[in-house]
Amino acid sequence: MKIEKEEIDGAVIVSITGRIDTSGSSEVSDALKTVIESGMKKIIINFSHVEYISSSGLRVFISALKQLKGTDGSLILCELKPFVYEVFDLAGFTRIFVICDTVAEAQKT
Amino acid sequence: MSSILEGEMWLHLFEMLCVIIVVAYFISRTKAFFNVHEGKGTVIEKSFLILLFGSLSIFGTLSGFEILGAPVNIRDLGPLVAGITCGPVVGGAAGIIGAVHRLSMGGFTCIPCSLATAISGFAGGTIYILNKRKMLTVYKAVLFAALFECFHLILVLCINTNIDTAVSIVMQVGGPVVFFNALGMFIFAKIAENHLEEIRTSRERDRYKDELERKRAELKIASEIQQQFLPKDIPPITGYDLAALSLPAREIGGDFYDIIPFGNQNHGLVIADVSGKSVPAALFMALSKITVRSTAVWHQGTAGTMYDANDLITHESDSGMFVTVFYGILDRMGERMIYTNAGHNPPIIFRKKEEQFETLHQNGMALGVMAGSEYGQDEVFLHPLDIIVFYTDGVTEAINQDEEQFGVERLKKVIRISKDMRSQQIIEQIQGAMQTFCKEEPQFDDITIMILKAEGDDEK
Repeated sequence: MKIEKEEIDGAVIVSITGRIDTSGSSEVSDALKTVIESGMKKIIINFSHVEYISSSGLRVFISALKQLKGTDGSLILCELKPFVYEVFDLAGFTRIFVICDTVAEAQKT
Repeated sequence: MSSILEGEMWLHLFEMLCVIIVVAYFISRTKAFFNVHEGKGTVIEKSFLILLFGSLSIFGTLSGFEILGAPVNIRDLGPLVAGITCGPVVGGAAGIIGAVHRLSMGGFTCIPCSLATAISGFAGGTIYILNKRKMLTVYKAVLFAALFECFHLILVLCINTNIDTAVSIVMQVGGPVVFFNALGMFIFAKIAENHLEEIRTSRERDRYKDELERKRAELKIASEIQQQFLPKDIPPITGYDLAALSLPAREIGGDFYDIIPFGNQNHGLVIADVSGKSVPAALFMALSKITVRSTAVWHQGTAGTMYDANDLITHESDSGMFVTVFYGILDRMGERMIYTNAGHNPPIIFRKKEEQFETLHQNGMALGVMAGSEYGQDEVFLHPLDIIVFYTDGVTEAINQDEEQFGVERLKKVIRISKDMRSQQIIEQIQGAMQTFCKEEPQFDDITIMILKAEGDDEK
């Protein structure tokens, strides 16, 4: 698991590489917590190198979304592979997340 | 050094060392030594140690060898060790025993040597208290013994009847006295330190073991309670053959299923999966199951139940936890099921006539995420011998040693092969296929399967 953070134009782009399973999700959770606590309002998650996400992985993003809603922030997911998209979709979460095809598109929103 | 020392010193020294090693080994292995060291010793245990260390002090005097009427000896060693390991009471009393014995022997250095021994135990005890009732490290203990012996020699220089004799004695025996006592302390401290450490480690291990044992017992009780949350028996439903299985990955889990009998002979079927595992999932599972069951009573349809249950559960969930739920109501006429799939793995229907699969897709979000979410309600018609397989992702995401997933396709294959069996047997077939697939790989996620089979015309 590798998590990279990059700040561009007031947004943080978090690029994740690896499987977001039970063990991976706690790492992602810590990383997102740091970003949110630093006061960043716009967080873009780049999933282009994520092959797998489990339901505990979903929980991390739900939790982040809930925290950001409280502070008027936004969480945008982008470049989801079909399998990852399907996991979000099966749980019905595609309707609560803003999902973009590319990072560039996410930056414009 | 004199020739007397040169010749017999080594033999004497060797004898002394052997005795110290044996005594150190023996004392440090007594329960009394550990208890008194830890400050939990009884009067009897303290008395026992006082006698042992006092005897060691007397042995120190008797085993010494004389130079100019002044014995080179390790009399102070016993009280010093007693002091730094067991405190001032044991150290001091042992020192007094050694001192009284020395006093009774007389000689030129009688007074300063007795006095030094009497002080030695208290000095060690003071160090013990200053060091917060812990033992000094070996090298500090050795340094302490050496310094104390220097003090002993200074006493000889201060209290005497003839300063020239005193100086010559100190010059001759000073080196060996400091050296032997320090060496004795080294041996003792090393043996005692190792043993105290061993006892401490083993006590810690025992404590840890007890705690683990208690946690295991608590989990076992939790597991039993959780088992009671699942239906004890599957109620007979006219026109259907229903069976279910739930296997948590650990003692307790986050999956559940439920069969809710309504007064009008309709039946509600629920299968659900809480995100996460073990204790947090189990607590959330209990909340979810009770919420779904109690809201179900108030609604005719499935969407209203899910809407209300979602609001209630969302209100209780701050941690991002959620639960995927499939909730269907089987019509008493036995052909139709209305359902809401709140983000759950789509159940699979095997159509007997067409020999084809269909899936019951989600028409709402998992519960516990957002209050006010809308839930759809769809219906599906069941024909004779059609099979619906409800399952949690523990089934399809079970992995083998190569990290391959069992997957939906393998699940469908088993269903196709066992399509003519009873629901219970189909579950056993799925379980068997998963075991064959996963082999030695341990079960990673909770597994729940519920199978509903519409009975054939001849059986109705």
